[in-house]
Amino acid sequence: MSTTSISRFCRNTWLITRFELFRLFGSPRGWFALAAFAVIWFLILRYPIFEASSALQQADTQAMLRSVFGMVGLYQLMAWPLPELIAYWLICLVLLPLAAIVTSADQTCSDRARGTLRFLTLRTSRDSIFFGRFLGQWLVQGLLIVISILATLGLALWRQHSLSFAAFEAALIMALNLMIVLAPFTALMAVCSVLVRSSKFAICLAIVGGGVVIGLISWAGWYFPDTLRLLQYVPGAQLPALLAGQGWSTLKEVTLPLAQTLVLLGLGRMALQGKSL
Amino acid sequence: MSTIIQAQQLSKSFGRHQVLKELNFTIEAGEPIALIGPNGAGKTTLFSILCGFLAQDAGSIEIFGQKPGSDALSGKVSALPQDAMLDPNFSIGTQLTFYGQLQGMNKTTAIAETKRVLALVDLADYFSQKATVLSHGMRKRVAIAQALLGQPELVLLDEPTAGLDPVNALQVRQIIANLTSEATFMISSHNIFELERLCGTVLYLEHGKLVQQRSLQQGAVGYLNLQLENADAAQVLAVLRQLPGVHSVDNVQKNEFALHFDRELAPELDITRLGVLRAQGWQYRSLTQGRTLEQQLFAVANG
Repeated sequence: MSTTSISRFCRNTWLITRFELFRLFGSPRGWFALAAFAVIWFLILRYPIFEASSALQQADTQAMLRSVFGMVGLYQLMAWPLPELIAYWLICLVLLPLAAIVTSADQTCSDRARGTLRFLTLRTSRDSIFFGRFLGQWLVQGLLIVISILATLGLALWRQHSLSFAAFEAALIMALNLMIVLAPFTALMAVCSVLVRSSKFAICLAIVGGGVVIGLISWAGWYFPDTLRLLQYVPGAQLPALLAGQGWSTLKEVTLPLAQTLVLLGLGRMALQGKSL
Repeated sequence: MSTIIQAQQLSKSFGRHQVLKELNFTIEAGEPIALIGPNGAGKTTLFSILCGFLAQDAGSIEIFGQKPGSDALSGKVSALPQDAMLDPNFSIGTQLTFYGQLQGMNKTTAIAETKRVLALVDLADYFSQKATVLSHGMRKRVAIAQALLGQPELVLLDEPTAGLDPVNALQVRQIIANLTSEATFMISSHNIFELERLCGTVLYLEHGKLVQQRSLQQGAVGYLNLQLENADAAQVLAVLRQLPGVHSVDNVQKNEFALHFDRELAPELDITRLGVLRAQGWQYRSLTQGRTLEQQLFAVANG
């Protein structure tokens, strides 16, 4: 690959990434999605997070939850500096991977079905399109994580009128972790989006395919117990360790999701290269 | 002239059905090239391979010495893919500007270029509109506009006038005719008469095989087509066959006659024939030099 090709690849990948951001922030359809995002997060902040943070301020509730979480190995969960952040962390680690599967399902499939991808491939490489779309989706998720965590900090500020440095630090750690948690799920949807021609089908493929893989591993584990180790490598396998961790040490769990992302992106790239448009 | 497309033993199958069968052809830069063939002949498949949308199963094909779809062809080869549509969520201007940027233009140039190509297809007022508000014919013209962005050296147009009304079809033909000096066009169509007006070379595909590749230039043998108002065919044939230099005269359709003659022996047959028409009192509707593309293709295709 020559220097010109590399610089052209980087330039076009970035142009496509930016266009994905424009799709969210610069088009009426994107504004509608943002409005839906705002309503959902208002409900999450107002009810689960606000109510949970109120409960978490009670000393007896804290003691009870410490013992409950301790029984399942989540000793450090209650050590995050704000009750709002504890609730946010729990909710995000459970919900955001599912949300990422839904929101990033249409990376290339509808453009391929419509023929729009043909207009693009006449001007840029399939690699630029594939990686540009993935990066765009990932950055969109990152921005929404930042907005939601700032709103959570705002809720805490409204309650206690000040925020400690530790709260900002925890928010930063959570945002970084969530970005990394979502990367393999977004890459998984990039692969599914290449394989099928509609976002609904891509979501079904990811969920059913994931279920089948886990089922097969479990079935194989019945006869060959060592195969159960494979479950440690499916996307999201590090989530229990993240919930049990605390502070910057949680970032030691990044290797698995980053490796999963690279493998999935490699598979998706290969699939798109061989695909008829 | 330089070679722009070179195909050798090009084959493509879908399942058991072989769509393209060992095609060999070379295309030179210059006059527009027509790709003709009946439905299912493999025209769109060949276009899709040329654009890099599909990969061939066997053989090789090169455009400007590169594999179709390679990065080096970006901006150099453009196309109107059949049935491809713009994203309905963005305005036409936004999308064409984005395409221009992907071709290497900066944003200001890409906007100016988008306005230029939209003006070429008479859709300058639709810069801020979405493709969903356009009629079928207008969408086709926008798709042609995107193919003209920048300075492509080869423009592949798959059925550019399919589904267009006569006025729009004429406009598209005029656009192509006006731009033939700037780029080499390769056009596929069912409309043989349309291609005859535009193209200098013809590739005729049938059942996935290249039946013939020919230039539409005149040779030493001359042909004239004559369409008369009501006339007695037998009398016309008898009179025309006696003209000097005429090899044969056929009554191809009602009131339509095809003359096959020697250019050297009868260099001014058209003038002579006008004199004969006048002397016989026959009114004519048209007098055309050369064989029609249809006659040329089917004379060979039918043996």
